[in-house]
Amino acid sequence: MSREPMLEVYIFEATQLMEQLEEISIECEKSKKIGTEAINEIFRVMHTIKSSSAMMMFNNISVLAHSLEDLFYFIRENKGETIDFENLFDLVLSGIDFIKGEVSKIQNNGEADGSSEILVLKSSSLLRNMKETNAEIIKNDSTEQKEDTKHYISSYQSGDEEGKQKYVARIFYEDGCEMENVRAYTVVHNLKNIANEIYHLPKDIIESNDSVEDIRKNGFLIGFSTSERKEKIEEQLNEIIFLKELELLQVEEYPPELKVLKRKKEIILDQPIETMKINKEETPPLTITGKQQSIISVNISKLDMLLDLVGEIVITEAMVTKNPDLEGLQLENFNKAARQLRKLTNELQDIVMSIRMVPVSMTFHKMNRIVRDMGKKLNKEVELEIIGEETEVDKNIIDHISDPLMHLVRNSLDHGLEEKEERIASGKPEMGKITLEAKNAGGDVFIIVRDDGRGLDKKSIYEKAKLQGLVTKLEEELTDKEIFSNILLPGFSTNETVTEYSGRGVGMDVVKKNIDSIGGTISIESSRGCGSEISIKIPLTLAIIDGLEVAVGKSKYTIPIISIRESFKPKENEVIADSDGNEMIMIRGEAFPIYRLHRIFNIKTEVTGSNEGIMVLVEDNTKAACLFVDSLIGEQQVVVKALPTYIKKAKGIAGCTILGDGNISLILDVSSILDR
Amino acid sequence: MMKRVLITDDAAFMRLSLKNMLERNGFEVIGEAENGKIAIEKYKILKPDIVTLDITMPIMDGVEALKHIKAFDKSAKAIMISAMGQETIVREAVMAGAFGFVIKPFNEETIVKAFSKLK
Repeated sequence: MSREPMLEVYIFEATQLMEQLEEISIECEKSKKIGTEAINEIFRVMHTIKSSSAMMMFNNISVLAHSLEDLFYFIRENKGETIDFENLFDLVLSGIDFIKGEVSKIQNNGEADGSSEILVLKSSSLLRNMKETNAEIIKNDSTEQKEDTKHYISSYQSGDEEGKQKYVARIFYEDGCEMENVRAYTVVHNLKNIANEIYHLPKDIIESNDSVEDIRKNGFLIGFSTSERKEKIEEQLNEIIFLKELELLQVEEYPPELKVLKRKKEIILDQPIETMKINKEETPPLTITGKQQSIISVNISKLDMLLDLVGEIVITEAMVTKNPDLEGLQLENFNKAARQLRKLTNELQDIVMSIRMVPVSMTFHKMNRIVRDMGKKLNKEVELEIIGEETEVDKNIIDHISDPLMHLVRNSLDHGLEEKEERIASGKPEMGKITLEAKNAGGDVFIIVRDDGRGLDKKSIYEKAKLQGLVTKLEEELTDKEIFSNILLPGFSTNETVTEYSGRGVGMDVVKKNIDSIGGTISIESSRGCGSEISIKIPLTLAIIDGLEVAVGKSKYTIPIISIRESFKPKENEVIADSDGNEMIMIRGEAFPIYRLHRIFNIKTEVTGSNEGIMVLVEDNTKAACLFVDSLIGEQQVVVKALPTYIKKAKGIAGCTILGDGNISLILDVSSILDR
Repeated sequence: MMKRVLITDDAAFMRLSLKNMLERNGFEVIGEAENGKIAIEKYKILKPDIVTLDITMPIMDGVEALKHIKAFDKSAKAIMISAMGQETIVREAVMAGAFGFVIKPFNEETIVKAFSKLK
């Protein structure tokens, strides 16, 4: 990551703001209500994006943000007016999409070359429409304001004219400093402390924007009288920021162009008081306290490095404390210190893991947008319920579940939920409901996507699977779950017609692949007419797991503790074999197949008699079996390392780890062993 | 003595931009605040020579913060960071005693010019 730090911050902030904005917009659109706080928020986000993008020279983004800012400025100023929510938020959301798209181009080292012209045009035409509808109110407003600015009263008009000197100053500002009229106003305002009788040209520096050009061309001419010394005045005027040129002259009489003003006896006022009040109302005091204060953002690659390092420390700690050289030695003090070290490394590990944990809320809330867009297109009214969004999982895992989740939500909307008429006919509420739920269960996190749609058609799934040769057993022999799990197989799609969103054949198998890759499992439940529920079980973290070390011949394997139900020493007569030689064991009246690890991995071992070794009963979602190993070594926390890329298709192996003595242990992939 | 600056802006990007530009030109940035409220707190502790205040910020805007800072320290030198179209608010800031203002988007040259009077 050698990107320029400024750009890095820009990308990070823009992405974050867009997501924030998207959420607010969808919320507002849904409730058909837009509160002061939301308006201010959207306005502020656009304002920030406008400026940052302009500074990074991403003009298309800046221009678009500017036009949206204008739009919300208008809405803010004309509260309570009728707003065309549909069009407004369609525009805002397309705006967000555009900016997101451009930012992701920038992120991938591309050019932000998209054109925002159409969106800008849309925005200005929407603004025009709104202005037209609200025209009368604006008229009233502007007349009020005009009146205010006509009152010019000097706060220093009295005072004795004795001992006062008249001065004339001409001020030029630096090119490109902008808002010259307000800068001129600053001069007048500050002179009031020492001068009275102030006249200036251009005259109208508050309302008129022409004065800006005037000041750029001719400078700001100001005449005043004061009893202060010339040096003092000069010093004060020289402090003006962006001052390019100052001419200050002591005069007997003001030049003719200022004299004209004098005759009119125009009086200068501190400030149109009414407009000030209006401004105050614009920003109502918010009571939220700064929650971002105590949070810093860290590049994820640094966290990865930290995690790697902690992994190494965990391994090294085991290498030291379990060093073969120490065997048989009386080491009371050493052991004490080693225990302390172990305690600290454990704490360190916990903290590093917790740093990497992020709540699923972001990923969940992204689905709001999909539900909104698809619901609109398919003309289905859908409510998205989110439960347990504060549930945390490792950052690496979050990245892997976003796509599958999106796919599942799309499926639910497209195939699961019925058309309005169908729902009404079957006595369901018109509005469909999709629930996203996350919860912790032991070392796992469950992510559940539930809908109250028509449910899966068990019969047609079975038929189709049979037709494609995916199942051999009779329908009665299979549980519902087993039948439903066919939809996860590659090439399976029950939907005959391809819609815009799903049914293109790439589907659930991709979801399964994604979830498999992070060691998760999927299970499907459904009842016809009432809806379906797809739960994804994923590990909290990929990096460090609790494992049981087992020995097979000279090799060592690690079985993840979470998939172990029990381990025991079998008796000879408990093991039975069918006519094909497949071994099985009865445990409390249930038969489990036996897989001998030495057979699976072709390892030479002395331990072959079923009463010599140990049985480890493992399970995943639906299946369970006994693994036959030589002996148990012990329970240990292991740091998972991926297999080197040159070892492909190691079926049954999920990864490897380095043991305390420097040996390598292979980590078993229980679900793939059970799938044999 | 390098002049010490406190930067206030809700956008991290803006804070970093301004910080880089000021530090390259002989100013010391001694603190950053992401809203007006924090700016006031930090101003009281750090007592900077100059404080920059963005106008549009959540929780407390720049003008409001300026008023508080001015009440605490009459001689406070505050540079407002504003955008085109905010004339009315800038004027309010001037009345509240803002030393000057800079318009976003700005470049390094603009910042150098604006701050040259404050060195």
